[in-house]
Amino acid sequence: MNKCTDSDIQELLPDLLHGALAEAEKARVDAHVATCESCQEDLDVLRTVKSAAVFAPSIDVDRVVRQIPPYRAIVPAVEAPARTRVASWLVAATIALFVVGGGSVLMTRQNSSGSSVVDGGAKSTQQIAITQPSAASKAPAAALNPRIAQQSTAAHPHALALAAEADGLSDGGLVQLMNDMDTFDALPGSESDPVISVDSGDSL
Amino acid sequence: MTPSPEGRPEETDMELIDRWKAGDSRAATRLVGRHSQALARFAASAGEREGIEELVQDTFIRAFASLDSFRGASTLRTWLFTIERRLMLDRRRAERRSRETVPVQEADHVSEYGALDNLIAEEAQERVRKSLDALSPTQREVFTLRVQQGLSYKEIAEVVGSTEGAARVHYHNAIQTVKEFLRDE
Repeated sequence: MNKCTDSDIQELLPDLLHGALAEAEKARVDAHVATCESCQEDLDVLRTVKSAAVFAPSIDVDRVVRQIPPYRAIVPAVEAPARTRVASWLVAATIALFVVGGGSVLMTRQNSSGSSVVDGGAKSTQQIAITQPSAASKAPAAALNPRIAQQSTAAHPHALALAAEADGLSDGGLVQLMNDMDTFDALPGSESDPVISVDSGDSL
Repeated sequence: MTPSPEGRPEETDMELIDRWKAGDSRAATRLVGRHSQALARFAASAGEREGIEELVQDTFIRAFASLDSFRGASTLRTWLFTIERRLMLDRRRAERRSRETVPVQEADHVSEYGALDNLIAEEAQERVRKSLDALSPTQREVFTLRVQQGLSYKEIAEVVGSTEGAARVHYHNAIQTVKEFLRDE
């Protein structure tokens, strides 16, 4: 049997099988197949393969449909207006200013009271624990564990741990904190206080 | 729009999709009924032996969950074939991984082939199955999509993530292999 060299016709045989050819094209392919043994064999093979696809299981349509979730339109995410984003940054910056400023004020007050000015080192503003002297032993743990800090605060109204809790304070809470600082007795820091060297000379 | 057996014009897939989006669950039934057997045949022809109904179900669940991304650039059936093929590839990868870690029991072979024997009743089907087994996975997909599903080369290229030219070459090589196999049998 001579091999067919008309690849265009060969490629159209599946379309002939599926009745997908336009009338004129179908007539052209039919005419070729009538005289081409190779294409007749191809067509027989294709028919066999097509009819052999029956062993697929039948699908329970209702069962499939029951598993399909109801339609939910995809709503595109709306980007926040630029003004809102700027406002958010301003709020964040204000809170940061309060936290840092609060720590500085506290240190200044401690230093000015002359209670613990020691040479060398720097006082940590992140883990300042302010409480009454009786609660001094709990302070380091409170600074590390917010739950302990809460218990400590409840037992002693003036007690406060700044460490992890400060981040979660609202603006009002921060203002309250600043006001309350005046009434707190500060614990000695775990690190020595910074030395403020004051030149007696006229360098300024 | 082709006429239905009752003489009414058959709704297109896009019209049914719009109806389903509007809350008509019967539209989903029509769509699943229209395409589910083709998906099952494609899975069986591609070599899937078990869990074909689950595969078809997963295909529809995924398709309906992302129907908003279907713009109608291809036919819905082509799009469904693409989703099903990805699921089949995922499944085969998972099976390969489990085969690497869990040794296959002898009993599994017996039950698998027993089920297969029940499915393939006729000798002609068995011969075709064997001839398709002789093809590479891609040749097999291209050949069955072309011959059993009647997809165009453009649609096949979309399903298998290839080009029309490559699909033509795969089809040509596949039919030569199948023809020789069936001739030698």
